[in-house]
Parts: sequence; structure tokens; C-alpha cells
Amino acid sequence: MTLTSPSVTTADSISIRGAVKIYGSGASQHVALQNVDVDIKRGQFVSIIGPSGCGKSTLLRLIAGLEDADEGIAEVFGVTAEQACAAKMIGLVPQAPALLPWKDVLGNVSMPAKINRRADKLRRRIHGHLERPAPDMIDLLHKAGLADAVHKLPAQLSGGMQQRAAIVRAFGVQPDVLLMDEPFSALDEFTRESIQEQLLDIWDENKTTVVFVTHSVSEAVRLSDKVLVMSARPGRITASVDITLPRPRSQAMLKSAEFHHFEDVIRDHLQTAWQENPMTGSTPIAAGAAS
Amino acid sequence: MSVLSPVQPSNQSGNQPDQPDPTSETSQEIPVSRPATPPATKRRSGSTGRFGFLRPAYWLPLAVLLVALGMLWSVTANDSPYLLPPLAAVGEALAANPLFYLTNAWATLAVALVGLAIGFVGSFILAVLVSELPVARRAIMPIAVVLSVTPLVAIAPALVVAFGFGPEPKLIVTALICFFPILINVSTGLRSVSPAVLQVFTTLHASRLEMLWHVRIPSALPYLFTALRVVFPLSIIGAVVAELSAPGAAEGLGTVISVASSNNRLAVVYAAIFCLAIMGSLLLLIITAIEDRVLHWHESRVAAKS
Ligand SMILES: Nc1ncnc2c1ncn2[C@@H]1O[C@H](COP(=O)(O)OP(=O)(O)O)[C@@H](O)[C@H]1O
Ligand SMILES: [Mg+2]
Repeated sequence: MTLTSPSVTTADSISIRGAVKIYGSGASQHVALQNVDVDIKRGQFVSIIGPSGCGKSTLLRLIAGLEDADEGIAEVFGVTAEQACAAKMIGLVPQAPALLPWKDVLGNVSMPAKINRRADKLRRRIHGHLERPAPDMIDLLHKAGLADAVHKLPAQLSGGMQQRAAIVRAFGVQPDVLLMDEPFSALDEFTRESIQEQLLDIWDENKTTVVFVTHSVSEAVRLSDKVLVMSARPGRITASVDITLPRPRSQAMLKSAEFHHFEDVIRDHLQTAWQENPMTGSTPIAAGAAS
Repeated sequence: MSVLSPVQPSNQSGNQPDQPDPTSETSQEIPVSRPATPPATKRRSGSTGRFGFLRPAYWLPLAVLLVALGMLWSVTANDSPYLLPPLAAVGEALAANPLFYLTNAWATLAVALVGLAIGFVGSFILAVLVSELPVARRAIMPIAVVLSVTPLVAIAPALVVAFGFGPEPKLIVTALICFFPILINVSTGLRSVSPAVLQVFTTLHASRLEMLWHVRIPSALPYLFTALRVVFPLSIIGAVVAELSAPGAAEGLGTVISVASSNNRLAVVYAAIFCLAIMGSLLLLIITAIEDRVLHWHESRVAAKS
């Protein structure tokens, strides 16, 4: 296995070129992704927003190597998604926390380190990979507000705490890219805002690349450097909005005029996409709707 | 019995308020095909704290029923002594020679446990194979389902013909009847891992062995214990039936029963049955206690503690 396969662009970005994903065949054929191009630079925080069923999760699964594109290329920092997984370059935070119920929080977040131990060697051979020491998991748990929960079982935690643990678990392998699929959609507003803040704190320190799927406009604006707006039938990217707000983004900034400006821009894009395609059957910003 | 169908993963299906409580006496007699204990509220409402079972409301119904059944027994035994022996006679039979019953109970128990162990190891290995290899699953599972609804104890006499009066037919019967409930439940449990967990571990490039060891086998434990709660008492049934079909066998409660009934010694028959009932209950108690410890992390148990 060569880890320096020819890359379409620079090795220092996640790049998807002309990705097509079709589910089913014949009459029930469904184009989940059509000609999707994505470029995410190392260290960027990029959100993907769009109505339910527009292919956000499919796109994320493509980057995670959980699914192969029918056409097109998906590359993660110069290697294929599969090679990236083999080198543990990808951290995944699914919509459900997906913790192991028989392990306490510390056991859960330490789990990735026990698995696929060959990855560290592979990782070092990958061009552009930044070598970082393994993080102190206890320290990371404290930063995520889980100091009291270190030795608790998942069933003893609230949904927000479980999701925090899932995020810490994903950060724990020091992945080159963190993929998050609507991680906060099941949480209440308060929990959501505090967990967003902690995510930004941890991200600030680690400067990992993050691809974040959401259906909340304000969440996308607050967290991201760039927001990709998607539209359904067929699933495609209709707009890319750079969020130029300064960081760190405080609670106060959420009420500022610039913040609202970006929210409006994204809402307009979603609105247009939806009007072209009212058949999707769902409003662009279906608050609380799980996909 | 519902045992033979794969169980529902109750940790995924969430709370099911009208599940029976396996920790209550009723379901210790009737093993329920569910890996989880139900919400704790049920236990709480039935008793106040730890010594709630001392309250008359708790034990009186059972006591009344037992007394009534005892009286019914005595009346029947008086009317037709060939149907039931007097309870006192059963007690005397037990008291007269406790060592006799103990040694025979031990002989039966040893066969049951060794047979169970053989069946367990075999079925667990096969369950792993079947869950890892779709081809094996498609080949084996239909046969397993058919055999699991077949009363396999019926082959005991044939095995006695084939193997004689040694331990082999008993061990084979016991192992066989324990085999399929474990196979079906464990193979279901090994594949009960949620897609999200699988995705997380796939992106970490976990090997099949790592997946099995760290994720699949622990996930299958609730299913395994459901099977064990059924199979432990079943193993005794297997051993006893095998002993009954080998009348020349030297030891075991099954032999005691068959010898005593051909001599019309009803009291001894019922004393032996009483011993079997105690043995089955003890095994069930032990497996439930082990389950409580091993599955302490299970959602329902965690809720009961906090
Ligand atoms: N495994 C699959 N098989 C068939 N269709 C699928 C599968 N996964 C997703 N789809 C379809 O592809 C479309 C996009 O799905 P998804 O990426 O989950 O959307 P989103 O995450 O944006 O809500 C949906 O219409 C969905 O029905
Ligand atoms: Mg989705």
C-alpha cells in the first residue's frame, strides 16, 4: 500500500472532485450526490447545511471512507479515505453518541488508542501530517466539562454529556480531520450553546480540520470558517459562504449585526435552493428535525 | 417458550414499561426472553427500600397460596394414596437419608453442568463463526432454528442404545439442548451493535478481531445471559431425562425416580423431584446473581442504582 498516491490537488486539503453517489437502481434510483466538488484546507472548520435528505450524511460518509463514490475522487490530505482510516486520521462523531455502554467515560474515550495500533507508524509516513503527542484524556475530559463524569457509565449521563464524551473520544486520536454529523441536533438550546463553546475551545487548541453537518443556521455561522449550502434532488452544493467573523466568537457576538448578516445570507441560499425544489417535502431549516 | 426466538435488544428499544421484572419471584420461575431488567420504578413502588419483602403485603399472597396448595395435596393424598404420597411421607423420605439425595443430586448436577459447559463452548464458537461469515449463517441458522424447536431430549433412548449406560448419552443430550438457545441468542447479540458504533470503529480501521473483542462480544452478553437463564434449568431436565432412559445407570436423581416408581415408592419419587426443583431454582438464582454483576452497566440496572 503506497501512501503517496498521486493527488489531484495539494496534499494539504480534503478534496472531493465530481463525486456522484446513486442509491438503488432502475425506477427506484436515487441520486444522493451529483457532481459534488469540495475543498477543505487543513485547519479549517467547515459546515455543511441543507434540508433533510439532501445528502449531507452521504457526503460525510464519503470522506470517512464508509462509502465509495460511484464516480469521482475523494481524497483526505493526499491519501484515499481508506488509507486515512488505516492511519487513524479520521475522527467521527455520529448523530447518536454511540458510546459503549459497558465502559465508563474514561474507558470509552481511551478506546480508540487501544485499536489499530499500527496506525501511528502509517501516520508518520503521510506527507503533511503533523505529529502531536497523545493527549491526556483526563485533561481533555475536564476541558469538555466532564470532570465529574470520568468514571460514570454512559447510561448515567445526560444526552449532552454523552455527546461531549463522543467528541472527546474523537479528539483523542488527534485526527487530521474530525467529521461530525449533526452531533447536537438532539440537544436542547442551552446545552447546545455551551457544548458549541467547548468544541470551539478544544478545536482552538488542537487546530484540527472539522467538517460539521448541521441544520441550524446560527450553529453553522458561529462555528465555521466556511459554510457549504446543499440542496436536494439531486443532492448538490449550491453555495459556499465564507464566514469572516473574527475568533474567538463570544456569546455576545451572536447578537451582532454581522452575525445576523451571515445568517441571512445562508437562509437566502437555503430558501432559493428550496424554491427550486419544493418537492423535497421539508423546509430548509427544519428545527429539531432529524434526518 | 419464547426463549427460542432471538431477543429484542432492550438497550436500543428503550424503555418498555410493561416488561416483567426478572428480579421479582414470578419471573425467576419463568425465564423471560429479554436481556434487560425493566425500569426501576416498578421495584421501588412495590416495596419500601431494602427490607420491603418483610412486609406482609409482599409475602402473604404467596404464603396463602402455598398453604392452600398444601391442603389440596393432603386431601388428594388421603383420598387416593396412589396419586400423591402424603407430604409428611415425602419429608420423612428426605430426612431419613439426606446423604442419599445429596449424592444423587450431585451426580445429576455434575452431568448437567459438564454438558452445559460443552454445549456453551461449542455454541459460542459457532455463533461467532456464523456472525462473521454470512455464508455460514445462511447455511447453519435455518437448521439451528429447526433443531431448537425439536424436543432433542427425545433422542436420549437412542443415545443409550448407541453409547450404553456411561456418561456419554447424558452429556450429549444436555449439551445438545443447551446448544441451540445459546447459538441463536448469541449470534443475534453479536450482530446487535448499532450502525453508529460500527461506523465509529470502522473509521478507526478496527480489525475484525478487535471489533469482536471490544464491541461485539460485550454487546452479546445481555443476549447470552438471557439464554443462560433458560439453559441452566434446561440442562437439569436434559440430565434427568437421559438418566430416566438409562435405567441401569448407577447414580442420579433420574435413576432414583425410575427405580422408586417401579417399586411403587411414591414418597421417594416426590422427594427426588423436590430436590430437582431446589436445584433448578438455585441454578437460576446463581445465574441471575452473576448476570447482575456482569451486566451492572446495563441501562436498566444503572437506572435502578441511581
Ligand atoms: N444506504 C442508503 N440506501 C438507500 N438510500 C439512501 C441510503 N443512504 C441515504 N439514502 C438516501 O440518500 C439521500 C441522502 O441521504 P442523507 O445523506 O442521509 O441525507 P441527509 O443527511 O442530508 O439528511 C436520502 O434521500 C436518503 O433516502
Ligand atoms: Mg443525515
